[in-house]
Amino acid sequence: MDRSEGSIDGTQMALPILRITLGWMFFSAFLRRVVNVPAKMNPSSSAYVGGKLLTFIPHAWLISGVLEYTVEHPALLYEFLVAWTALEAIFGLFMILGFMSRLSGLALALLVWGIGLGAGWIGTTCLDEWQIAAVEGAAALMFMFTGSRWLSLDQLIAKKYPQGLRIGRWHIPLW
Amino acid sequence: MDRRYTAAVLVFVVIATGLTLSSYQVFFGGFTQLTNYSKTPGYDLSGTQLFSNGTLDLQISRVDGPDTYGGFIVLVQILYPNGTVLYQWNASQLGHVPQSAIRNEFPLHPVHSDGFALVVPLGQNATVVLQAHRYISPGTYIVRVYDVDGQYAAYGRKFQATVAVG
Repeated sequence: MDRSEGSIDGTQMALPILRITLGWMFFSAFLRRVVNVPAKMNPSSSAYVGGKLLTFIPHAWLISGVLEYTVEHPALLYEFLVAWTALEAIFGLFMILGFMSRLSGLALALLVWGIGLGAGWIGTTCLDEWQIAAVEGAAALMFMFTGSRWLSLDQLIAKKYPQGLRIGRWHIPLW
Repeated sequence: MDRRYTAAVLVFVVIATGLTLSSYQVFFGGFTQLTNYSKTPGYDLSGTQLFSNGTLDLQISRVDGPDTYGGFIVLVQILYPNGTVLYQWNASQLGHVPQSAIRNEFPLHPVHSDGFALVVPLGQNATVVLQAHRYISPGTYIVRVYDVDGQYAAYGRKFQATVAVG
């Protein structure tokens, strides 16, 4: 199988089993913060998710300084949370729909490890946050290579543009 | 199969596996001394100062334990180096420290009294000013705090600081 062809083999057909659940993990984070419990995005609420970044600081990997700076600047923290939640919504939905699956895979891998560097040490009974970051990160990176060419919007797009997005003589494999 | 594609996949096999295994070691010491730092509350008192007029600037940061709950400080002691208690604040006193005597480094999840204990949320770092209302003669003392679980140590770190009164 050539990576840029639109061919659909048995492996490609099985990918939606993981793809939709993976996308939901991110898209549902947006739903919880914006639809179910809007207080999570309210800086004056005790449910405000900004407080989570504070709990990451003691044993964060590489990013303790960045976390401290962000938590000390509430306006920056709020903008960061809005942007992060938007990215989770957009690329989570893209992954569910199978739209630009390769690009979405890269984006989700960066998002999950962005949290993982801070939260990876947290989890009172299991190694919860580390397991999330490691498994979702590896899965997202896999989609960066496989894309998803079945039960997906990319299936339709790839029929017409199997080489990916064309800019001049370059082909960018976003799907 | 395209050789560059094969090479790129192999690179990312190494990246994904490397991230998983290295973070397992960094966060939990999984290949040496397996430790889960979010199990039990831990505190660091570095920077604590004691003055001869009986003022204690308790510099307390919560560095281990659950992210969603506690920790609860129920006893603060000033000890002589031999371990004898010079002065201590009990749970009902620590449960009623005015917020004006607490300076939090971060605006979210502040250290506060809840009527039963001094609550120190994970990640917060605060200066809590306590008054012994007595003269403390020059010398070296130990300031120690106890979590509500009865412990004054976790993960090999004691919740105490050695202070010098000049």
